[in-house]
Amino acid sequence: MKQFFFLLIALNTVLVSFSQKTYATKSAQVKFYSHTPAEDIEATNNQAESKLIDKTGQLMFSLLIKGFRFENELMQEHFNGKDYMDSDKFPKAEFKGTIANIAAVNFTKDGIYNVNASGNLTIRGITKLVTAKATVTVTKGVVSSKSVFKIKIKDFGLTGKDIGSVIANDMEITTTAKYN
Amino acid sequence: MKKKILIGLLIAAVAVAVGIWFFGFYKPTHFKRDVADEQAITITAKDMVKEFQANEDSANKKFLNKAIAITGEVIEAKKNQDGKSTVTLKSDDSFSNVYCTLKEEGGEINNGSTITVKGICTGFLSDVVIIDAIVIKK
Repeated sequence: MKQFFFLLIALNTVLVSFSQKTYATKSAQVKFYSHTPAEDIEATNNQAESKLIDKTGQLMFSLLIKGFRFENELMQEHFNGKDYMDSDKFPKAEFKGTIANIAAVNFTKDGIYNVNASGNLTIRGITKLVTAKATVTVTKGVVSSKSVFKIKIKDFGLTGKDIGSVIANDMEITTTAKYN
Repeated sequence: MKKKILIGLLIAAVAVAVGIWFFGFYKPTHFKRDVADEQAITITAKDMVKEFQANEDSANKKFLNKAIAITGEVIEAKKNQDGKSTVTLKSDDSFSNVYCTLKEEGGEINNGSTITVKGICTGFLSDVVIIDAIVIKK
């Protein structure tokens, strides 16, 4: 009988250590911002999907380009147009990567953990490797992630003639995901 | 008499200038699209998900950036991390539904009730995504 319980406990430990948890949300926020003396560009998307797997550190974001909202609707129209995001042809953007040092995050203990994320970012059908410093925050069992990184607009095939003059070359991207 | 014509012309010129400024420059940058004023495509949540699953490209052509009035059964009503109300409308596939983000409080929405939401379709992730939506019937 004793051995049986021991076996049960041992089995349970194995199961717990192997089981991984996927944290997911359908309402992650992705913002971008760029600044030149002529024009600040800022838009927000509140319907990004994001998943984070605790054991493997796999991190994923996907979003719809037409879901970005600008203060200025004319700017939003240009953003979606052929010279910029061409969102009729390329309706989605996606990031698939990993957090290399996911072991640094204790998902059962409240805290703010600094991590490094890297992976493939696909915008306008073009995939580039990006790396970003990020944080994973655990608050009373609720896990969230945040990262800020920069991309070069022209890397992704945008041809708008204002890029590099009225519009900055770099875009700063901020992602905030509260997993539920 | 000449003076009157001149003043008339001046007023007309100012009116035209203001009109050009308003419709050409002010309105496009300061006014927000409002689905309440738009003619919507009417469809059920079930059919909309089916159309996207059958052929995403043709569904994109039909629905993207259009005003859509979707009717379906509420399986989840909650707040997103930005504080906006969201409603998920049920399809026949439990992995893929219609996920609507409302632009203003929708009032009390009960799970299991059938409602109609009018909003703008931005595309298809794991769910069909509708944003800037309003509840038009519940």
